[in-house]
Amino acid sequence: MSLVIKDLHANIDETQILKGVNLEIPKGEVHAIMGPNGSGKSTLSKIITGHDDYDVKSGTVTMDGVDLLEMDVDERSREGVFLAFQYPAEVPGVSNANFIRAALQARLPDGEELDAVAYYKNLYSKMDVLEMDRKFTSRAVNEGFSGGEKKRNEILQMMMLEPKYCILDETDSGLDIDALKIVAKGVNAMRSEERGFLVITHYQRLLDYIQPDHVHVMSDGQIVKSGGKDLALELEESGYDFLKEGELANA
Amino acid sequence: MMTTTVPAWFADLQDEARAEYDTHPMPSRRDETWRFGNLKQLDFGGYTPDEGSEIRFSIPELPDGVICVPFEEALEKHSDLVQKYFMRNEPRLGSQKFAALHKANVKNGLFVYVPDNVQVEKPIEVSHVLKGSNKMTFPHTLVVTGKNAQVSVLDRFSSANDDDANICIAVNDLIAGEGSRLTYCAIQELNLVSRMIQINETSVGKDATAKAFTMNSGAQWARNEALSILEGEGAHSDMLSCSIPSGTQQFDQRTFQHHAAPHTNSDLLYKNSLYGNAKTVFSGLILVDEGAHYTDAYQTCRNLMMDDTAEANSMPGLEINADQVKCSHGSTSATISDEEIFYLRARGIPPHKARRLIARGFSAEAVEKLGNEALEDAVLEAVERKFSTL
Amino acid sequence: MSYDTSTIDQETQDAISVDQAKGDFSFPENHKFDAGVGLSSDTIDYISNVKDDPDWVREFRHKGLKTFLDKPMPTNWATKDLENIDFDKIRYYLSDGQKPKRSWDEVPPEVLETFERLGVPEQERAFLAGVEAQYDSEAAYSNVKEELEKDGVIFVNSTEGLKEHEEIFRPWFGKVIPTGDNKFSALNSAVFSGGSFIYIPKGLKVKHPLQAYFRINSENFGQFERTLIIADEGSEVMYMEGCTAPKFETSTLHSAVVELVAMKGAKIQYITVQNWSSNVFNLVTKRGMAHEDAEIRWIDCNIGSRLTMKYPGVVMKGERARGEVISIALANNGQHQDTGAKMIHAANNTTSNVVSKSISVGEGRSTYRGQVHIPKHLKGCKNNTECDALLINSHSKTDTYPAITVRGNQHVTQHEASVSQVSEEMLFYMEQRGIPEGAAMSLAVNGFINELAQEFPMEYSVELKRLVELEMEGSVG
Repeated sequence: MSLVIKDLHANIDETQILKGVNLEIPKGEVHAIMGPNGSGKSTLSKIITGHDDYDVKSGTVTMDGVDLLEMDVDERSREGVFLAFQYPAEVPGVSNANFIRAALQARLPDGEELDAVAYYKNLYSKMDVLEMDRKFTSRAVNEGFSGGEKKRNEILQMMMLEPKYCILDETDSGLDIDALKIVAKGVNAMRSEERGFLVITHYQRLLDYIQPDHVHVMSDGQIVKSGGKDLALELEESGYDFLKEGELANA
Repeated sequence: MMTTTVPAWFADLQDEARAEYDTHPMPSRRDETWRFGNLKQLDFGGYTPDEGSEIRFSIPELPDGVICVPFEEALEKHSDLVQKYFMRNEPRLGSQKFAALHKANVKNGLFVYVPDNVQVEKPIEVSHVLKGSNKMTFPHTLVVTGKNAQVSVLDRFSSANDDDANICIAVNDLIAGEGSRLTYCAIQELNLVSRMIQINETSVGKDATAKAFTMNSGAQWARNEALSILEGEGAHSDMLSCSIPSGTQQFDQRTFQHHAAPHTNSDLLYKNSLYGNAKTVFSGLILVDEGAHYTDAYQTCRNLMMDDTAEANSMPGLEINADQVKCSHGSTSATISDEEIFYLRARGIPPHKARRLIARGFSAEAVEKLGNEALEDAVLEAVERKFSTL
Repeated sequence: MSYDTSTIDQETQDAISVDQAKGDFSFPENHKFDAGVGLSSDTIDYISNVKDDPDWVREFRHKGLKTFLDKPMPTNWATKDLENIDFDKIRYYLSDGQKPKRSWDEVPPEVLETFERLGVPEQERAFLAGVEAQYDSEAAYSNVKEELEKDGVIFVNSTEGLKEHEEIFRPWFGKVIPTGDNKFSALNSAVFSGGSFIYIPKGLKVKHPLQAYFRINSENFGQFERTLIIADEGSEVMYMEGCTAPKFETSTLHSAVVELVAMKGAKIQYITVQNWSSNVFNLVTKRGMAHEDAEIRWIDCNIGSRLTMKYPGVVMKGERARGEVISIALANNGQHQDTGAKMIHAANNTTSNVVSKSISVGEGRSTYRGQVHIPKHLKGCKNNTECDALLINSHSKTDTYPAITVRGNQHVTQHEASVSQVSEEMLFYMEQRGIPEGAAMSLAVNGFINELAQEFPMEYSVELKRLVELEMEGSVG
């Protein structure tokens, strides 16, 4: 049971962004992808979740054997893939409580209504983990939120929707250390044998709090190096310069 | 009378125009394009068409291939080019009748043609000085830029003295070819007994940028109609104006941003500082055609009310028929806030100077968008001249 | 992202029609009085005779007819669709000759059933202080809670108002909106029937809303109710109106005139949820006069009709008077919602506020027209206008035509308008949470109007959200 990406090639307009990505994330594991800006990390998360800006040219993405590429964005989500956005969109006029409720309602069979009392109980308990104020439920989704509030909101939605695979796209960006700890607490509380994680990050810092089982380095649309969590520390020390050397060697 | 002979096509056009002028009805109260307008100003009784106005050219050194000649000379020597671009469309902002009158009587003006890939750095300057008494004059400015060409033109309108009442009906056609940059600026400083109608049509080609600026300082009544048609993908149009009416002056401005192609953008900023019993009308429309998706269009009219007897009318409009469009308009009318004045006074500036300073800054905001130092200086000088009379 | 409207599936089509089905039924006509087809001075006399009008009203009607005939159609600025109204084919007065009943038990069975299906008696029991239910030309039911009557509140139909309360009615009737204000106010003046007359005595704050429900049952019919609300010094009242009609083959005309008078310090809120069937021409003139320290708010929602032209206004006649228009419009296929606001500042330190949000779906068209007028020799007037338009599909249309006149340097006016779409980024975000596209769109649209929807009483705002959801469901392919 895993999220499997095989030989994935993808374009935006005429530009090649992914040039053969191979990755397998079994349930129960946390994988981190690191890499310089523009290496294709964020693109990968958009393609897994089905953003239509990108054309998949070849390759496959399957989740527990199910072909994701054949499905619409919302179907993929209901199948169990979740993306914590780097830049979450604002949805003016729609309260957080109503939004998460609509997402949960969409997961129920036709004609079945979400139990509102149980829902709020659940929501409040998750908010407590993330140290969120109750007033938050009536605020419009992400509207006027600080960077930290947005990221916390992403993790709250993740906790409420209980996905099978979670992708965290640069979740640490824009967070101070206290907020980072709270977010990590939420993510760690979600870690289980039934769930896989893909953590995309530019910096090693996040990985101090969310310890990965595997670390991959992405460059120019490919995974160029994989290793254990020590690889992240190595990168922190020596940076991505080795990539350039590698390129030189290839040249 | 003209000494040169005009081409046959032009003579025919003028005949048609005379007929059109005679048959076209006068604007009426029910015409939306004249809402809030002063129709009494359209009585031209007692005025006679005349070529008496004096026209002076100030032409910088021009690269090879650039045509820059008086309009009558262009008719003679570049008849084909003129025929191709001269007043191709009927005006849409209310002055069809007066455009016909212009067409029927036009004699002088300027024709500029800049071939592909040629850039003219310094502005070409034309000065129209109204002379004689109870005369009507019809200056025409036609500017055409080829692919990736660049040019800027300044039209000045003034009167030979303060007392002779004249009427100027000017038309300017600006055709910006693919990738070109065309900047046009008009500074109107007629005397306070004269009237002005200026009709502009700008067509902006693929990836071209056109800027049109109008500064109104003089005239008892001025009507500006500015139409910008964004015809090619990537076209950009800036429509700018600053006007400073005072006394009993009335300025009536109608604008039209017509997005006829996708991926086009336009920006309009009109600023009026109103003194005394002045009255302004601003009516702007952004039209986005069906299929002109991915359009960005903005329109802002700001009125600075400097006296209790001034009147500003604003009609900012939008007509959107496409998808994925970002459009907005805004209009404000207000005076200088007490806090602003207080701040300047706290720095030792006397109140009347503080007001002047703020009003100058208000005008300058539109002027700065011209992005052409020589033209900006020319406008700011005109702004100063106006302020010195107040 | 563009959505092709041609691919509306049957299920969503059915879902949309559920809503219209609510009002889409009619009963056989049972009219004792029928002014016949077409409009002439005989029609006026017929109506005046049936209603036993006093002479001054008969004269008022004839003057109205003359003005109506003299005035051209406003097609120099308004839509040409107006030319499709055939005034010679409309029936201008239909009634069963019954007086309005004070008890639902006495209302004729088919009329009772009509209003029961529309939920009117139920709402009355739940939260209303008084109800008037109009069926074609006349009120079938009219009642106000006893304690309000004791307090001196008058809530009757216009016919009764002008006869029984002439001393209060007549001084204001036609004064806020003169007959010749526009072609359709003149038409209404000629043939008006029904509508409410309300008087709230000094200092009385009516806690619960008064409601009127306007129902058209007959084909080729024109409904011309006339409403006059007078809130005396320091009083407060909230009035709500709803309306429906069956969808006939031919078009129906509804042309009301509503005048509000708020005396010193009074507050009037006038709430409309307009859900006419999509063949109704809805051409309505609404204006209020606010005296010193008074406040008039128009809260207006237009979802139905083929063409609505309605620009509620406030004349701020006394110092510190306030006027407000809050407006939501939803234009779907075949609809044109041409709405707006008129704010006339006629005294110092008066304040007006306009917030308008429109949504154009499919080939629908929404238009905002506004007028703000601040004349000479006033000081301290403020206007704020915001209009936002949301375009849903690639063939949706929206226009904005405000006109602002300011004289003098002691005022502040600000007008802002924007046109936008539901962003792709927002939809992707919502869909990534598992919300299907249609539901995501409807959530986004409800979010767009949420702030304004909250201005409506709870019972209405829930209904409003439901209507918007239904309208939106068919919008994405």
